[in-house]
Amino acid sequence: MSEISIIEVKALTKVFDDKVRAVDGISFNVKEGEILGFLGPNGAGKTTTLNMLATLLQPTSGTATVNGHDILQEPDAVRRSIGYVFQDPTLDIELTGRENLDFHGRLYGLKREVRQQRIKEILDLVQLTDRADDLVKTYSGGMKRRLEIARGLLHHPKVLFLDEPTLGLDPQTRRSIWEHIQRLNQDKNVTIILTTHYTEEADYLCQRILIIDFGKIVALDAPNELKASLEGDIVSLIFKDPAAIGKMRSLLEGKDWVRRINVVASADGHVTMGRMMQMMRGMSGGVDMGGMLSGVSSGNIGGGGRMPKDVQQILAQDMSGKNSQRDLDGGSKSLNLLVDDGGHRIPEIAKLVDEEGVVLESVELHKPTLDDVFLSVTGRNIRDERGSFTEMVRRHRIVQQARGGRG
Amino acid sequence: MVQPLSGQAIYVVLLRELKRYWRAKARIISSVAQSFFFLAIFGLGIGGFMQGLGGINYLSYLAPGIIGMGLLFGSVFSGVSVIFDRQFGFMKEMLVAPVSRTSIIVGKILGGAATASIQGIILMVVAGIMGAFTPTITLVAGALAAIGVMVLITAGFVGLGVAIGSALNDFHAFQMLSTFVMWPLFMLSGVFFPIDVVPLPLQIAMLLDPMFYGVELLRWCLLGAGTPLLGPLGWVISLGVVSGFNALMIGLGTYLFSRAQV
Repeated sequence: MSEISIIEVKALTKVFDDKVRAVDGISFNVKEGEILGFLGPNGAGKTTTLNMLATLLQPTSGTATVNGHDILQEPDAVRRSIGYVFQDPTLDIELTGRENLDFHGRLYGLKREVRQQRIKEILDLVQLTDRADDLVKTYSGGMKRRLEIARGLLHHPKVLFLDEPTLGLDPQTRRSIWEHIQRLNQDKNVTIILTTHYTEEADYLCQRILIIDFGKIVALDAPNELKASLEGDIVSLIFKDPAAIGKMRSLLEGKDWVRRINVVASADGHVTMGRMMQMMRGMSGGVDMGGMLSGVSSGNIGGGGRMPKDVQQILAQDMSGKNSQRDLDGGSKSLNLLVDDGGHRIPEIAKLVDEEGVVLESVELHKPTLDDVFLSVTGRNIRDERGSFTEMVRRHRIVQQARGGRG
Repeated sequence: MVQPLSGQAIYVVLLRELKRYWRAKARIISSVAQSFFFLAIFGLGIGGFMQGLGGINYLSYLAPGIIGMGLLFGSVFSGVSVIFDRQFGFMKEMLVAPVSRTSIIVGKILGGAATASIQGIILMVVAGIMGAFTPTITLVAGALAAIGVMVLITAGFVGLGVAIGSALNDFHAFQMLSTFVMWPLFMLSGVFFPIDVVPLPLQIAMLLDPMFYGVELLRWCLLGAGTPLLGPLGWVISLGVVSGFNALMIGLGTYLFSRAQV
């Protein structure tokens, strides 16, 4: 990793429909050769940012340069400098793997000999040589993903954008994709920007992590630095009764060894209606909102009705506004404390709990992880983020496709 | 909006359409079979009790219209497939490449026109084998002219399809498209009955159908005559209308496609 910036972003902003600030004046630099991860919940503005950097979307204000080219002034030069592996599958499944690559090479104006040479080389790199002449519809989810990554590299971009590279893949395949990404970064010296909402992915792959929430950057640093910023240990308390939360919170807040307290959203506590609406508007096309809305009210989502029942119920409730008043920590049973010297504080906490007469279900102690960092900077737990229902429907589809369906 | 055209990009989009068409053998077979049933059952069935239309038998009358049907459905659906490209993501791969949207759409239109015309040529051969056309020297020239006409007609209708596909952005409207656009265009194109024998309101409706002129042109090429309603220079009028429609639709399709969000 050098110290030269390959991407410089200045006050980049995207407002949809004059009101939703999907990306809100963000500025940052990406160093040549680094792997930078955008970590954030669904609808935080990750993909919108990538789309602006890729010149697919016009920023409302602000600008950026990619490989020295301004995204507004020189879109073609920017496009030549980047490879983009989209979140949704974008292969032509009626063509073979080799044809997909060949198509890409021609679109980027590569001459025949160069094309053939690079296709051969890149197929080797992602280990798809023996399946290259099979139709893509016969590929597994992991193979499709590898082919897409290979395709994104064919024109030798300086920067590769990976939008949720392992969404919907099983752990083993995910691990192998990670290794491929690392190898590409090292062998080809390609700068990589990836978006993810998997903290372990960001932790494993990225040299720096940019945490983005509601369109704003809330943290940007190396994973270890981010974790180290939470000095102390994390003690998670789970109570039997949600009523205990408020009481214990105010009690613990008075202790000088407690650095921070977060109420962890309960497993079924999820985003409020307002946030959902914001995220919905934040999505640009691609999803048929009207059809989905009408589908929800008639109890049939996503056309095929393949949504699990519980998801349908939640969507239906959200639609009817029943959940709109629900507070984020309503119903939560869990508190996360950041404390000095956690191991020694547990007996003290247990004593406090006893004196209050509330019942503790479990106590857990660990060193801060990226999940804790996320919770501390956004006030929410990334794993419990359900996101907007359209996002869910969309993800459901991507996951289905990744598992070897149509996609 | 003036955008530079890239020959390479146009070619590659065209190539993709051809490859996809060629691989979907089942679709080719079923659409040829469908047209064959129309020709065989309607041509021989209705032709059995209808004695000649201005001196030609009903199968001959029907054949150019059925070829037109193949062209119409093939080309509009090929244009509307931009919806699928968008839904299944492939569109993004094309849009993020350093080529203009105009190049992509020109490739798409040429590709759609090529595949639909191939379909039309197959139908023309089938109709010929069934004896729809009088085998003379002029028929050879007529058939060649017909191929040119096919490309002209289909390019316009692919443009229409692209325009609809870009504007709709959602494939739930697919059923509506078929019922309210495709079938009226097809049935009013003078496939089954000549325009000069129907009541005035229907005549007007038929004259408003651009496909009517397309079918007229095919009749001029393959049968050597068109409807008496448009007179001996009917082919000139038809050629003018089809060309105008063609330019309009390609322009509209390109415009709407360039504006559409990813």
